[in-house]
Amino acid sequence: MSRIGVFLCHCGENIAGTVDPGKVVEAANRIPGVVHSIDYKYMCSDPGQSLIREAIKEKGLTGVIVAACSPRMHEPTFRRVCAESGLNAFLCEMANVREHCSWVHEKSELTTAKAIDLVRIMVEKAKRNRPLFPIKVPVTKTALVLGGGIAGIQASLDIANAGHKVILVERDPSIGGHMAQLSETFPTLDCSQCILTPRMVEVAQHPNITLHTYSELESVDGFIGNFKVKIRKKARGIDEKLCTGCGVCAQKCPLKKIPSEFNAAMGMRTAIYTPFPQAVPNKPVIDKKRCTYYLKGKCKACEKACPAEAIRFDQPDEIIEVETGAIVCTTGFEVLSTEFFPEYGYGKYKDVINGLQFERLASASGPTLGAIRRPSDGKEPETVVFIACAGSRDPAKGIEYCSKICCMYTAKHAMLYKHKVHQGTPYVFYMDIRAGGKMYEEFVRRAIEEDGVKYIRGRVSRIYEQDGKLIVKGADTLLGAQPVEIEADLVVLATAMVANSGAEELAKKIHVSYDSYHFLAEAHPKLRPVETNTAGIFLAGACQAPRDIPETVAQASGAASKVAALFSADELSREPVIAVVHRTAPPIFSICEGCFMCEQACPFQAIEREEIKTRDGKLIKVVAKVNPGVCQGCGTCVALCRAKALDLQGFSNEQVYAEVMAV
Amino acid sequence: MAEFEPKIVAFVCNWCTYAGADLTGTSRIKYAHNVRMIRLPCTGRIDFMLLLKAFARGADGVIVSGCHPGDCHYTAGNYHARRRWILFRQLLDFLGFDTQRLHFAWVSAAEGAKWAETVNSVVEEVRRLGPFQNYQQLARAGIE
Amino acid sequence: MDQLRKKARELLESGAVKTVIGYGEGSGKAVRAVFIRQPEQTEKLILDERCRQNLAVYLLKPEVKNLGKPAVVARLPVLRSILELAAESQLADEQMVILGISPDGQLLDLAGLKAVADYVSAQSLELPPPEREQLEQIEKKSPAERWNFWQEEFSRCVKCYACRASCPLCYCSRCAVECNQPQWISSASHARGNLEWHLVRAMHLAGRCVNCGDCARACPVGIPLNLLTRKLGEEVFKDFGLRAGTTPELKYALATFLPEDQEDFIR
Repeated sequence: MSRIGVFLCHCGENIAGTVDPGKVVEAANRIPGVVHSIDYKYMCSDPGQSLIREAIKEKGLTGVIVAACSPRMHEPTFRRVCAESGLNAFLCEMANVREHCSWVHEKSELTTAKAIDLVRIMVEKAKRNRPLFPIKVPVTKTALVLGGGIAGIQASLDIANAGHKVILVERDPSIGGHMAQLSETFPTLDCSQCILTPRMVEVAQHPNITLHTYSELESVDGFIGNFKVKIRKKARGIDEKLCTGCGVCAQKCPLKKIPSEFNAAMGMRTAIYTPFPQAVPNKPVIDKKRCTYYLKGKCKACEKACPAEAIRFDQPDEIIEVETGAIVCTTGFEVLSTEFFPEYGYGKYKDVINGLQFERLASASGPTLGAIRRPSDGKEPETVVFIACAGSRDPAKGIEYCSKICCMYTAKHAMLYKHKVHQGTPYVFYMDIRAGGKMYEEFVRRAIEEDGVKYIRGRVSRIYEQDGKLIVKGADTLLGAQPVEIEADLVVLATAMVANSGAEELAKKIHVSYDSYHFLAEAHPKLRPVETNTAGIFLAGACQAPRDIPETVAQASGAASKVAALFSADELSREPVIAVVHRTAPPIFSICEGCFMCEQACPFQAIEREEIKTRDGKLIKVVAKVNPGVCQGCGTCVALCRAKALDLQGFSNEQVYAEVMAV
Repeated sequence: MAEFEPKIVAFVCNWCTYAGADLTGTSRIKYAHNVRMIRLPCTGRIDFMLLLKAFARGADGVIVSGCHPGDCHYTAGNYHARRRWILFRQLLDFLGFDTQRLHFAWVSAAEGAKWAETVNSVVEEVRRLGPFQNYQQLARAGIE
Repeated sequence: MDQLRKKARELLESGAVKTVIGYGEGSGKAVRAVFIRQPEQTEKLILDERCRQNLAVYLLKPEVKNLGKPAVVARLPVLRSILELAAESQLADEQMVILGISPDGQLLDLAGLKAVADYVSAQSLELPPPEREQLEQIEKKSPAERWNFWQEEFSRCVKCYACRASCPLCYCSRCAVECNQPQWISSASHARGNLEWHLVRAMHLAGRCVNCGDCARACPVGIPLNLLTRKLGEEVFKDFGLRAGTTPELKYALATFLPEDQEDFIR
C-alpha cells in the first residue's frame, strides 16, 4: 500500500495568497493513499526540508509530493532531501501550484480547487512510481580526435595533459590544418607557424597521443564511453619506420610542377612530397594519382635515391581498430570554390586570388618567401583591391551567413601588403566591418588610420582585364551609390568559409546532425555548444560554423574539458529516465514482436536488437532492446509501440494513465 | 444558471511548453483556471490514446503542446508527434469526432504569453461549444 | 489454375516447400484456405474470383510455421502484405516461396522480395473509383452525421476480434487491447469500448494497411471497418507520399518525418 506524504508550501504569500492552504491540506488528506499532509511557509528552507525528512522516517512514507513551485525549479532539491532520508529520489514528485496555479489565477475557490486537482494528479502518479537508480556505463578512457588542425591539436593536448590517451586522426599527410598555411595572425600580427609548430611537435612527442596522419575515419559503432572505431590508414608508399625524412626522394622526383595544396596552388610540389618543411610527421607521401610509377609502371627515381630504402610502392591501406570513450570532431572548413564568381574572373585572370592564396604570398615560408608578387608576372603590385564578403551574406550564392573571419583577415592582408610594399595602395570593398573581439576593432582602425588602407563601402559588380590591369567596378554606397572604378594589379577575394565537402558523410558516420549549410550541429546553440545530440561526441572549431583562431581554441579546450569530465570516473552515471522493453513469461518471452519501427524512429540510435534464445541456443525471436547508455528518454518509441512493449521509466504508461484518470 | 466551466486537459512537453507555462507564472500573466496540465518529457511521448482517455475522463477540450519544429530538446520528438497528430486528427474527423475540442500548439519556453492566450482561447471556444455531450454519453455507457 | 497446380506439385515433390497455402472449395459456394502437404493433393487448389482472402495472415501463425517452409498463393494484396511484413522484420526471403498471381490469374515468376517489390511498384496502387467513392460518401456527411453513422455501425460490434485475426499485420502476441496495466482500451463491448478498439486498430494500421479488406469481410456483423484504415492509408500517401507494402525496407510513416511536413491546425 502506498503511504504518500503531501507537503504544501506557502512560498510566503506567493502560493498562500491565492490558494487556501488549509483546504488543500484537508483535501489531500482525503485522497486514498495519502497518510500525511501538512503545509509550511517555505518548504525549501532548512526547517521545511526537515519536515519532509522527519515525516519520511516517522510515517514510513513510500512517496512524497511537494506542492510548491515548478519541478524545473526545485525538483532536484526535494529529490535530494528524499534520498538523504532513505527514500529513493524518484519516489518524490512535485505539484506545480505556484507557476501553474497561484501566480496565474486570482484568489478564488476555483484556484484552490485547481491546486487540489494538481496535488491529486501527482499523488496518483506517485502511487505508481518505482525506485529508479542512476545508470552506470563503463568508460574507455581514450579519446578519438578527428582532424589535426589547431582545434584538434588543442583538444588533443588538453585531453592528453589531463592524463588520458588520445588518438588523433588527420586526413592530410601532416597535422597543422589551415592555421599552418597562414602568414601572420590578427590582431597581434604574430607569425602563425611560430605559434603553431611548437604545438604540432608537442603532439607528436606527447606520450599520451597516438597520431595517425594520412588517415580517415572508416566507421563508428557503439555509444558514449564505448565507441568502436575503424580508421583507414592510407598507404603513404613509404615505410615510416625506416624513413628519416631526409627529403632526397623529393629532390630526385622528376615531376616538379604539381600545384601544392599547402601553398594553395601559389607554389609547386613533386609527386613524392612533404607538404611543408615543418610537417609533422616529417615523412613524405607519394601522390598516387600523379606519380609516374603508379600511372605508367616505371620511374622509381625516388626508390633508387632513397638512402634508407624506405620506398614501398605496393604498400596497402591499413585498417586500424580502436576503442574510445569519446570523440571530438574538429574537421574544420574549406574555402568556397572561387569558380563561384564568374563576375570576378577568378580562374580566368591569374591575378584574382583568394585570401588563403594571399596568405601564402605573404608568408615568409611561402613560394615568394614573403614578397608580395602577383602570380601572372611576378611583379610587385602597386594597387591591390581586397573584396570582403565574396560569397558570404549573399543569398543569391546560397550562403546567407557571415563567414566571420574575413573582415579581420582582410584588414590584416591590407596591412601586411602596406608593410611590405610601402608605396602601394590597398583598397577594401566591404559591406559592414564586423570586428567584434578583443582588440579587433582597434586592429581595423589601425589599418585605416595608420596604414592608410582605403575602405570603400559597397560591392563589386564586375572585374575585367585591360592593358595588364584589372579593372574593378563597384559602387560606394556611402557616397550615394556613386560608381567606383579602380585599376588594380592584384585582387584578393575574401571567399566564404564553407563546410567540408565530406561533412555530410562524416556526420552520418558519427550520427551527428548538420544544418542546411552542412556545418555540424551542436546539441544546444548556447548552453551546449561543444556537445552534439549523440552523447560522447563533441565538436570544436570551424566544422560547426565559421570561427576564428581564438574561438576555435577556446572551443577545443571546452570540448576537451567535457571529455576530461567524462573520463574522470570509471563509470558514467546517467539519469534513469529512459525507455525499457518489457519482458514477459514464456512462451511469449517479450511483448516486443521485433518490428523495429522504434529503431527507425529513435533520434539517438538507442534501440538495439537482442536475440532471445532457448537454453540450447535455438533462436526464439529477435526483439528490441534499449541501450541505457544512449537513450535520452524522449519516449517517442514508447508512444509508437503498438504492443506497449516499450515503456518510459519515470513517465511510464501506468503513471501517465493514472494522471489522466485523476484530472 | 452559472456559466458552463469547461474542463480542459493539456499534455505538454517538459522542455518548451511546460517551461513556457512556468514563464507565464513568473510573468504573473493571468489565464483561465480550467486547464490541468500533464507533464511529459516530449511531445513524442504523447500516446494518442492519452488524448482519448482525457475525453473519456470528462474533458471538454484537450490541448497538446510542445516545442516548435526544429527546437525539440530531443531533436525530433515533435516531428514524430506532428505526423501522429496529422493522422489522428484525420481519423477523428472521419469518425465524426468533434475536432474543435482537440487543440495543438507550439509554445516555446519563451512564449509565456502565448501559453496564456492559447489556454484562454481554447477555454472560450470550448465554452461556446458546451459540454462534450457526444463523448460523455459514451463515457457514461462505459462505467463498468 | 493449371499452372499454379503444376508449380505447387513441383515444389512439394522436390521438397522445396513443405506446404502450399492456397484456396480450395469450402462448404456450399464458400472458398476456404487450404494447406496442401502432398503433391497429389495439389488438384484441390482453385483460383477464381472468389479467392480473395489475404493468405499472408497464415505465414506468421505458429501452427502454420510448424508445418515447415510454405509456398503461398499471392495476389496483389497478399504480395503487399508480405512486403510490409518483411519491412517489419517479420518475414525474410528464404522463409517462403511466393506464388504470385497476376490480376488475370496468371502465375508470376517472382523470385524473392526484390522481384515482388518491383512487380508491386509497377502496379497502380491508386484507389479504384468505387472504393474512393465509399470514402467520399462518408466524407461528405456532416461531422454529426458521421458520428451517428459510426456509432450505429460500432453498436453492432461484439468484440469478437475477427478483424484482428483476419489481418496479416495484426501479429502482436499481446495486442494492446489485452494490456490491462493500464487498461488502454476498455475490453467491454459497449459504445466507448467499441470506439476505442476500432480507433486504436485503425491508428495501429495507419501507414501499414494494404487495403485488402479482409477485416470487413471477416466481421460477422458487417461493420465496414476497412474504411477506417483505407482512409488513413490515403492520408498517409497524400501527406507523406508513402504507401504500405511496396518495399521490403522499412519506411514507416510514423517512424519517420520530414521537417517540412505540412499541417494547418497547430497554432
